[in-house]
Amino acid sequence: MKWKLPSLESERLIRWACVLGLVALPMMVWSVITPTVWPVLVALSVGQAIGTLSFVLYLVVVIRDLGIVARLRGQNAGREPDAAEQGES
Amino acid sequence: MAQVDWIGWVSIASAICAAVILVLHLVRRPPLPRARMWLLLGLGVFPIGSAGTANISGFKATQSRTFCGSCHVMEPHARDSEDPESTSLAAIHARNQMFGGDNCYGCHKDYGMYGFVMTKLGGMKHVYYYLTEYHDMPLEQSKHDIRIAKPLPNENCMYCHTTTAPRWLSIGDHASSLEAVRDGSMSCASPGCHGYAHPVTKLGKELPLEGAHP
Repeated sequence: MKWKLPSLESERLIRWACVLGLVALPMMVWSVITPTVWPVLVALSVGQAIGTLSFVLYLVVVIRDLGIVARLRGQNAGREPDAAEQGES
Repeated sequence: MAQVDWIGWVSIASAICAAVILVLHLVRRPPLPRARMWLLLGLGVFPIGSAGTANISGFKATQSRTFCGSCHVMEPHARDSEDPESTSLAAIHARNQMFGGDNCYGCHKDYGMYGFVMTKLGGMKHVYYYLTEYHDMPLEQSKHDIRIAKPLPNENCMYCHTTTAPRWLSIGDHASSLEAVRDGSMSCASPGCHGYAHPVTKLGKELPLEGAHP
């Protein structure tokens, strides 16, 4: 079965990434300004999770827009199978 | 607001740079190919820098007495440590520059190769207990009910106070209980010796009523 990501516009994904980034950044800075239990816990867990998600969205857009996956597939399709691969099959 | 060290300022500055880039992008909405490099800074480089430095700052903060005392059940311990008049073992160590504001961590951390990780795991257990059991507990009850999970090992004391120094051995009680101290069967912080470390939390459970510490 082929799993496919819902095709969202790049612009929209980037806007979401920006919003998530803007949510995550204050959480991380909060722990620096108020280093008590809750701010530190929130920064190290929720803040970082949201921040990572925002960066992942950006990477998805870049990879998709630059056609990196398609290029890699194209290269693999055009490549002659080497001796080791032939031996396996 | 706590005193922010230079690592903290790097974290704040990175976060501000990232936020400015992200807000400008949301407001101006430039075409993506042109904005890609700016977004790499705003969504990647600066936030990762901010998160990394905030982590370092956060981990350092978890070693401070302010952090330990931020759960209400630990307030009496922290206040006692900060009291310049207190003669408790904890307060005496807090007045020592070696420990200072990190005196909780200095005595209660696990020493050894994986000490840092084990201490942090233990800290997470404390947070769990606080959330599930102690969050709404009245202070007076907490002073009575909350006790250390496992006795403080003498190794923690011996990390600074060697039991091989002639001066230490010249004290009669030390010499007579040397093996018991080293194998941990007698605690340095027991009431007959140098304890209790936190007498302020002993409400007659351990201490006799007359002559009990405040």
